[in-house]
Amino acid sequence: MIKHQRIYPFVAIVGQDKMKLALILNVINPTLSGVLIRGEKGTAKSTAVRALADILPEIEVVADCPFQLPPGGDAEVCEVCSMPMCRNGGGDQSQRVVKRNVRVVELPVGSTEDRIVGTLDLERALKEGEKHIEPGILAAAHQGIMYIDEVNLLEDHLVDVLLDSAAMGVNTVEREGISFTHPARFTLVGTMNPEEGELRPQLLDRFGLCVQIEGIRDIDARVAVMERRTAFDENPEAFCRQWQEVSAELVRQMTKAADLFPSVHVERSRLRDIAALCLEVGVDGHRGDIIVLKTAKTLAAYLGRTEVTQEDIELAAELALPHRVRRQPLQEIGLDMQSIKAKRA
Amino acid sequence: MKTRKVYPFSAIVGQEQMKLALILNAINPKIGGVLIRGEKGTAKSTAVRALAALLPEIPVAHGCPYSCDPLDRNRLCDFCRKNAWQRVDHRKIRVVDFPLNATEDRISGGIDFQMAVKTGRPQFQPGLLAKAHRGFLYVDEINLLDDHLVDIILDAAACGENIVEREGISFCHPARFILVGTMNPEEGELRPQLLDRFGLCLEVAAAHDVEERALLMECREAFDSDPAGFAAELQEAEAEIAASIERARKILPAVEVQASMRHFISQLCTESNVAGHRADLVIEQAAIALAAWAGRKIVATEDVKAAAKLALLHRSRHVAPPQPPPPEPDKSSENENKGDEQQSTKDPPAEGANHDQKRGKPSSHAEGASSEQSGENDAASEDNPSQAPVERSVQEKIFEIGETFRMRRITQHKDRLLRRGSGRRSRTRTSQKQGRYVRSTMDMQRNDLALDATLRAAAPYQKRRRKDSHLAVVIRPRDFREKVREKRIGNFFLFIVDASGSMGARGRMRATKGAIMSLLLDAYQKRDRVALVCFRGRDATLMVPPTSSIDLAGKLLKDLPVGGRTPLTAGLLKGSEVLRNCFLKDPSAQPIVLVLTDGRGNVAINEASSPIREALLAAGRMAGDQRSKFIVVDTEQNGLVRFGLSAQIAAALHAQYFKIDNLKSENLLHIARSAN
Repeated sequence: MIKHQRIYPFVAIVGQDKMKLALILNVINPTLSGVLIRGEKGTAKSTAVRALADILPEIEVVADCPFQLPPGGDAEVCEVCSMPMCRNGGGDQSQRVVKRNVRVVELPVGSTEDRIVGTLDLERALKEGEKHIEPGILAAAHQGIMYIDEVNLLEDHLVDVLLDSAAMGVNTVEREGISFTHPARFTLVGTMNPEEGELRPQLLDRFGLCVQIEGIRDIDARVAVMERRTAFDENPEAFCRQWQEVSAELVRQMTKAADLFPSVHVERSRLRDIAALCLEVGVDGHRGDIIVLKTAKTLAAYLGRTEVTQEDIELAAELALPHRVRRQPLQEIGLDMQSIKAKRA
Repeated sequence: MKTRKVYPFSAIVGQEQMKLALILNAINPKIGGVLIRGEKGTAKSTAVRALAALLPEIPVAHGCPYSCDPLDRNRLCDFCRKNAWQRVDHRKIRVVDFPLNATEDRISGGIDFQMAVKTGRPQFQPGLLAKAHRGFLYVDEINLLDDHLVDIILDAAACGENIVEREGISFCHPARFILVGTMNPEEGELRPQLLDRFGLCLEVAAAHDVEERALLMECREAFDSDPAGFAAELQEAEAEIAASIERARKILPAVEVQASMRHFISQLCTESNVAGHRADLVIEQAAIALAAWAGRKIVATEDVKAAAKLALLHRSRHVAPPQPPPPEPDKSSENENKGDEQQSTKDPPAEGANHDQKRGKPSSHAEGASSEQSGENDAASEDNPSQAPVERSVQEKIFEIGETFRMRRITQHKDRLLRRGSGRRSRTRTSQKQGRYVRSTMDMQRNDLALDATLRAAAPYQKRRRKDSHLAVVIRPRDFREKVREKRIGNFFLFIVDASGSMGARGRMRATKGAIMSLLLDAYQKRDRVALVCFRGRDATLMVPPTSSIDLAGKLLKDLPVGGRTPLTAGLLKGSEVLRNCFLKDPSAQPIVLVLTDGRGNVAINEASSPIREALLAAGRMAGDQRSKFIVVDTEQNGLVRFGLSAQIAAALHAQYFKIDNLKSENLLHIARSAN
């Protein structure tokens, strides 16, 4: 069974603290709208995202619902859904509700448009003369994490489609004689190697946070990477067991943070600081401001505080702003806040 | 999705112009829509969605799929005409979303497949245009939409009805809707034709005021933490706006436009040199709506002024560029060159590709004029570098990127091969399930069923087959027909650039780099792949291997040095090597090869032969492959002494031949950036 294949534990990843932090913040607060991880080959990018599955919280969904809908919701998509037992069962009472972990859904770079947005179940249409839809990857990713490896290699028309639904949180399909809408709110996680080409600014802007990672330069840490990887390869079971306690601790901290988040308070003067900061570095639009604020609040909650401090904002800006600084299509992306500020000064 | 709260309209901070334009359209549908242009994250989509909640109710004929107005007896659809008297429903004006993945049959409507198979009757299934009738049609990122879809919308918007003649149906229904589009100009422009269809157009930008930004964050935060509570708080303000819109709609028919105001409008339009009369009509309608919004029954001057601001932005054309400055005396031309370069360092390299034409023209005229006088001297200096001025004798030089401009359209011809890929340059048959459905075929390869053709193919056998089925139409696998689709894809662009010493003269390299940069920006918008070969000294090198990362090419272009002799043949050979690799990978590729040179090849591969003749020979051989399209860009400037060698090369390559200036798009209409 593939399901039982052990994944390298998230907490056992050496270093790359910024990336881990960005991922954790997104899990605590899904409205941060994703992380883009930029970095060279072999820096645990994919490992980290796959390992997330371990520490994700649980959500409630209707059993076997192809659209991952929460119970009770009566979406219009149910009318054309091809899941007979839930549709014909007669309303909410018969819906079986299950609790499961938030899912990581991978979008392969070579996917076709109809697989992403969903399409008509042609076989059935021809045999029975009934229209039923085959949901796509966007439906599978609702309430979950959409992971795109090498996002910069994604074909442009797919990017456009993805942008469209990521922006609205809704996937509207109007093709091949079918018309339906279903919710598609997901956290976009992408990895890319900048050597292979940049992303279009528009897609870049959709990622809430962006981290730049590189190989670790410290010899001891590199040794630790090798040691842990060998230990994992030799005996995954034992290795995971060894890290179980740390994992559980992290999950506890994250759950606490999610509970604490609504009561985090931001002073008005801090908002002004954020706005001034965004103006200073020259950010397009207002999405940057909003994301910095949200990140800072989530950060405070993660650290167990209910008050946002200057440090939170600075760290949040470091994660949320560099890829948003205004630039022309063919200009380079700044790497960190210091260099950007220096350039503008 | 009813459960999801939308961000309230009255809580949008700033962006007054955008809010006003939307409200005006809600008051007076005759204005004809609005196009919102602007950077990311400026509440474009939020505003349109929020507007939906504010719109008043309209009477609608009960059960009518096209939302006919029961009071307007003259314009009823077929359905309502048959049902002579029916109930009247009231519902809110709709805002219909237009997703980027929409296909043609869902936009204009098509045959109802389910009905056809079950009952055996062809029935028209209304599409998005029918749904949008008497409401708003909202197209997010309208500039990313495929051309053929844009045409359908444009057509329907223009004549107020949707005429369907496809897939074996012939149908017509009213479709008067208000088109609202948003776009980010960085990702490509709209065609002027479509641009003109939008009544109003405005630019949005983020607020530059700290207080305002802070307020905006507060609002958003409040909304996110408690959407229902936030909406409830603003309910009064929302109702207030809704009531004002309702009131204005009532006053609207009574608003008068005086003759003097009409004069003023046409005067404004002539002044800004607009094409056609739509601008006049739009300004009048918008002014009427503005008066109604203010509760007045007479249109005032300020109404017209405010309306003109919204209506003329995308319509005013540039006046003819000013006369080029008189040519300067010989001595100063050297200095002028220097000054030119210094000036360019101040300019950001890739400043908005579309706005520079006006500026670019006069300066290039001036350069051309000045080189007329010094052309002879210039040509002589190349053969004997030691005599050249200090500035030019430096072995290697890196020139700034010159002015960029908007490209004329360059495309490859159409053939019958299937291709994959995306982009927006050349038309091709596609093997993917997207693009325009041009016809059907029996050749099943891609599981892309053409429903209408399949039904037609099955039709003759129905009498026999129906015996053993409950369906009205029984389809067997041999009836299956597949769609043949056509779409635009990006091409592979190969630049072969002359970087020899002669290119350093007279600012040629600067202009050339500007031209390449413009081509790269164009390639970015059309989503092409590029490669760059440059030749100088004794050899040619592949500077940028084939890549879709235009950024990388742009970066390398910036640092491209100039100097040395001109191994034109080597450049061409290197180019054909790249092409050969490209064809090995994808035999159906249609590369476009751009050779930028002054044609003065002076290094031959075979020492004994003449460099020029050798280059012509190589060019002739390259032209043998019909799949590539060649374009030669002559960088030699008009002058007394011209060698015209590039033209010879172009002839040998069977290439199109351009001067740099001719690469510019002939399009007159450009969007002027508004003051903010």
